[in-house]
Amino acid sequence: MTTVRPDLLVGLAEEQASRVLELGSHTTLSAGDVLFNLGDAANSLFVVERGRVALTLPMKVRGKEQDVLIEERAAGQTVGWSALVPPHRFTLKAAALVDSEVVALPRTALSEHLSAHPAVGYLVARNVSAVVGQRLQVFQTMWLREMERVVELSRA
Amino acid sequence: MEMFLMAAVMSVLGVAVCAALFAAATRGEHVEASRPAEQPALAARRFFASAPDAAPAGEPVAIGAQRELVPVEALMLQIEQHIRLEQAAAESFLHTPTEQSLHSRTASPLVN
Repeated sequence: MTTVRPDLLVGLAEEQASRVLELGSHTTLSAGDVLFNLGDAANSLFVVERGRVALTLPMKVRGKEQDVLIEERAAGQTVGWSALVPPHRFTLKAAALVDSEVVALPRTALSEHLSAHPAVGYLVARNVSAVVGQRLQVFQTMWLREMERVVELSRA
Repeated sequence: MEMFLMAAVMSVLGVAVCAALFAAATRGEHVEASRPAEQPALAARRFFASAPDAAPAGEPVAIGAQRELVPVEALMLQIEQHIRLEQAAAESFLHTPTEQSLHSRTASPLVN
């Protein structure tokens, strides 16, 4: 287990964090293994324990679909927050960049645990919001920068 | 008097013939001068025309046609590098939100 406190569990007491992680199962991935595909049912949330996981989207390049890197997640980071947000479908593809290990937290078990422990539920929801919010802000900024270039090119 | 008129007429005719010859000679030079300038452009178009998706000879060559020459693996690496650099720039802006950092340029090969 990583010594880094997972971003999902920031603010929780040691015992509270351990109980959440006990809900999950450890999964080992070899480089290139797919954790989930775009559109799959998001039945689990993953915490990266070791290695690196690439989040990609299919982009059409010269008429052929290619996986384009969107984000990279490392030890201590959460992958697959779609498991906590309706309609519970993954909006990206995740694959191991190198040999990696993740803890898969089943959506149902996690939801029940968070409902039963509202204080823990609040902190986890806050942490998920931080992950989602950070990605939203980054992509909002990237979108603006790309739009500026599109406008520049259209006026050239 | 007659001799004087004859000399004057001959001079005028001479000047007219010289002017006509000069005009003909300089017109030829203009045509010759314009040819070398066109030759490199034609040669360049023929070079790009050898690519399978290039524009027909005589038409301007699109930038997209030149990019077709880049292998798709290299293009994917450029896209990945571009995304990483843009993401870093976006994160830098969020860390210190200023107009300058929002519009900062990266070293991405796709935008330079």
